[in-house]
Amino acid sequence: MGVTCVSQMPVAEGKSVQQTVELLTRKLEMLGAEKQGTFCVDCETYHTAASTLGSQGQTGKLMYVMHNSEHPLSCFALFENGPCLIADTNFDVLMVKLKGFFQNAKASKIETRGTRYQYCDFLVKVGTVTMGPSARGISVEVEYGPCVVASDCWSLLLEFLQSFLGGHTPGAPAVFGNRHDTVYGPADTMVQYMELFNKIRKQQQVPVAGIR
Amino acid sequence: MADALSIGVNLEAFSQAINAIQALRSSVSRVFDCLKDGMRNKETLEGREKAFIAHFQDNLHSVNRDLNELERLSNLVGKPSENHPLHNSGLLSLDPVQDKTPLYSQLLQAYKWSNKLQYHAGLASGLLNQQSLKRSANQMGVSAKRRPKAQPTTLVLPPQYVDDVISRIDRMFPEMSIQLSRPNGTSAMLLVTLGKVLKVIVVMRSLFIDRTIVKGYSENVYTEDGKLDIWSKSNYQVFQKVTDHATTALLHYQLPQMPDVVVRSFMTWLRSYIKLFQAPCQRCGKFLQDGLPPTWRDFRTLEAFHDTCRQ
Repeated sequence: MGVTCVSQMPVAEGKSVQQTVELLTRKLEMLGAEKQGTFCVDCETYHTAASTLGSQGQTGKLMYVMHNSEHPLSCFALFENGPCLIADTNFDVLMVKLKGFFQNAKASKIETRGTRYQYCDFLVKVGTVTMGPSARGISVEVEYGPCVVASDCWSLLLEFLQSFLGGHTPGAPAVFGNRHDTVYGPADTMVQYMELFNKIRKQQQVPVAGIR
Repeated sequence: MADALSIGVNLEAFSQAINAIQALRSSVSRVFDCLKDGMRNKETLEGREKAFIAHFQDNLHSVNRDLNELERLSNLVGKPSENHPLHNSGLLSLDPVQDKTPLYSQLLQAYKWSNKLQYHAGLASGLLNQQSLKRSANQMGVSAKRRPKAQPTTLVLPPQYVDDVISRIDRMFPEMSIQLSRPNGTSAMLLVTLGKVLKVIVVMRSLFIDRTIVKGYSENVYTEDGKLDIWSKSNYQVFQKVTDHATTALLHYQLPQMPDVVVRSFMTWLRSYIKLFQAPCQRCGKFLQDGLPPTWRDFRTLEAFHDTCRQ
């Protein structure tokens, strides 16, 4: 697992989500990237059940259970500012058993799907973020395989992002600041996705252009 | 001569045994001559018969004596040792078709020639070093004191010496750690870990570097049975490029008389890769060129360049 940067691409003016995705993928293909299949990252939200909350009136914590097609046999469970658990796919079944403690907020299931591109040692994934039936935004993930220390290769990643995102390059993700010399892991990628999904949930729905 | 003695053949007894064989042969031929000549001319028949029998018996006795002598000497000669001292190259000599594939004789000639060449080159370099063209007076600085005085041939060094040199280099740089192992015979295999950037497998032949393979920090360097994998390439293009550059470097740093200086310079050059992903190219100022970071490190100044940007 190399250093990964997840960011959001704002929808272009006067265009729909799908058209912007097409623009991006065309730019990537002009750069020389090769298509290598599809990817999917999804996220389900669980509230701590009211019955387990203490009499002091603690606020319930939100738990996110995520899957990443890059790691098909794993399931990631994380709290907002807390630890991230990497478990087997049977964890989903376990969550069903824990219905009394964690309740699924079915309406907030969010996922992103799209194509994977490989350019030299970079793996680029451009996906459409959908919540229910509607497309809410565009996620762009870039992974640089050879490097495993985040602080080393941020400038390199930035240069690559600029080459195809143009002016919409993001700042350094928060996870990069926290870990100075530790090895980057898949949990950090999932934290970035969780933050992205939360941001998109809070945004207003993207106006659906072209359908009048 | 010393080799023959160590093998177990007594050369003195060997030459005496050959003489004994000759003596035995001559006494046996005397027996047959005597039989062929038959009886000598004497006055009486008994006299002739007696003379003949006596002569025949003498000859047989001498044959017996020579045979005993030969047996005694053959016991002294001893057997050559069981294990073939020439190992795999000696097996080549078993090939009977000499005129079509004269491999073994050519191999021996090439070996003798290269040994002579090395010897003459050593003499020549000793003579040339006396007439130094450099202006500065000090020759090699620190390593001159630590280098041992007698080094007849640098190709056959004791493994302990190699271990010492490598452990000294290991302590030189804090971010570089070197592990030495000898899974295949006497040639050392080093696993050099540079910070959290890359791992290098170096295959050596006494103190000379033979091959290198560069892989990423997160890549697996062992085969399924736990041995060091010295053949498979890295999965990433950047490390494949760095492997090519490392091969160029080990061809560039050459100094047959002082191989430990060579290993030290190679490790110093390798250490400059600690900033592989952080250093921009000194020529174009950018980080990426065709998707690759600056992978070339200049041999003298250790500056980073893209492969296409270097002069």
